[in-house]
Amino acid sequence: MGYLIGVFLLGLLAILQSTLLGNFHFYDGRPDLALLAIIGWGLAGKPDQTMVWALIGGLMLDSLSGIPLGASSIALVGIAYVIGLYRGRIWEPNLLAPLGVTLLASLLYHAYGLAVMYLMGRGPDFGYALSRVVLPSTFLNLLLALPAAQAMQALRLWIEPPEVEI
Amino acid sequence: MMRNPSPRLLIASILILISIGLLALHLAGFLQPAEDLITRPLTAVQGWIALRYNALRDLLTSPRDVAALQAEIARLESENARLQQEIVALREQAAEAQVLAALLDYVRAQPENRYLAANVIGRDVSPFLRSILIDKGSDAGVARGMPVVTARGLVGRVVEVFASYARVQLITDPATSVNVKFQSTEGGPRREGVLTARINGEAFVDFIDLDVDIQEDELVLTSGLGGNYPADIPVGRVLSIRRRDFDLFQQATIQPSVDFESLDIVLVIVNFRPVAAQP
Repeated sequence: MGYLIGVFLLGLLAILQSTLLGNFHFYDGRPDLALLAIIGWGLAGKPDQTMVWALIGGLMLDSLSGIPLGASSIALVGIAYVIGLYRGRIWEPNLLAPLGVTLLASLLYHAYGLAVMYLMGRGPDFGYALSRVVLPSTFLNLLLALPAAQAMQALRLWIEPPEVEI
Repeated sequence: MMRNPSPRLLIASILILISIGLLALHLAGFLQPAEDLITRPLTAVQGWIALRYNALRDLLTSPRDVAALQAEIARLESENARLQQEIVALREQAAEAQVLAALLDYVRAQPENRYLAANVIGRDVSPFLRSILIDKGSDAGVARGMPVVTARGLVGRVVEVFASYARVQLITDPATSVNVKFQSTEGGPRREGVLTARINGEAFVDFIDLDVDIQEDELVLTSGLGGNYPADIPVGRVLSIRRRDFDLFQQATIQPSVDFESLDIVLVIVNFRPVAAQP
């Protein structure tokens, strides 16, 4: 069930990212909806499923972009793995954990995106990319981090309601 | 003694290997049919959402009250007065241009462009790339390298084609280069350059001879050199010029004719075959 919802949700988020968010930007940065969903799902306690979501999400994003198919999946799977690795040890009990995770994940994701652009021979000016794209996108991601994490937690509870002893 | 890798690390490794495999297959060009199959439903939903979103955006951004409409009327009246003055000047030029155009047409014997209208259904999700997705693909006769325009001017060209949709690289993408010329055709050095863009989408013409005299607000057109675009498509107007004596060339910043933020429908020139489509 979780995998099926992941396909639909990430497909929808990739479409929204391409259609609606094309016009909503802060400098040249835009929120990364698929990344936020993956972080939220990882923090909601489904680490293995999150990695599959990351693969699917990356493929969806790349299919609507000029970036080679599979490139984004590598970064997203890596981020999902790290979230799963430290979940329960560092950030599980903290309500503000999504902010910290989103900050690190956004910076990693965009650093990887920049590296891909350089490998494609289309590397932008680093200072400019940092100030106009990476930091504004990270800021927007941070704004949406808590609502996204709450939404993914609610989705998980909807899919898998907690068992109640009677 | 070596520890066994955890199952989670194993899953992550497998998924990353799958991604790398897909990446390699994509770069080798083997995934085109599969990608087409996967993205067909995606772009169908995307087209549906894009049409409704554009309609909603137009509704929200249209003038909403009387004060705004009155301000708009005042602006249009002053614009009208200015245009009347321009008409007088342009009529004189039109008579001369008709003669020149007739001669030019005769010399060129260029076939008339055939256009295919397409809806813009999305934009590149990467902030580092500036491209749009259109809802016409190879099924409708779209091919790689075809120029894309609107009534205002050049938009870009098709760089990736699938059965039901295509990706168009905008002229504001940093990887774009378009051979352009400045409208004024006075004698002297070649009034040409190469249009490219910075990561923020700012377009500029580079490689302009230092001897060339360019004026602000001058119209920039495609030159047709290189064979990647037809000649004489409006590209934009000169905003500012950077000319330094120690540089080899001067640069002109361009205001594109097309408003890329509100692109809804574009026209693909389907009867133009570029000399060599870039990979």
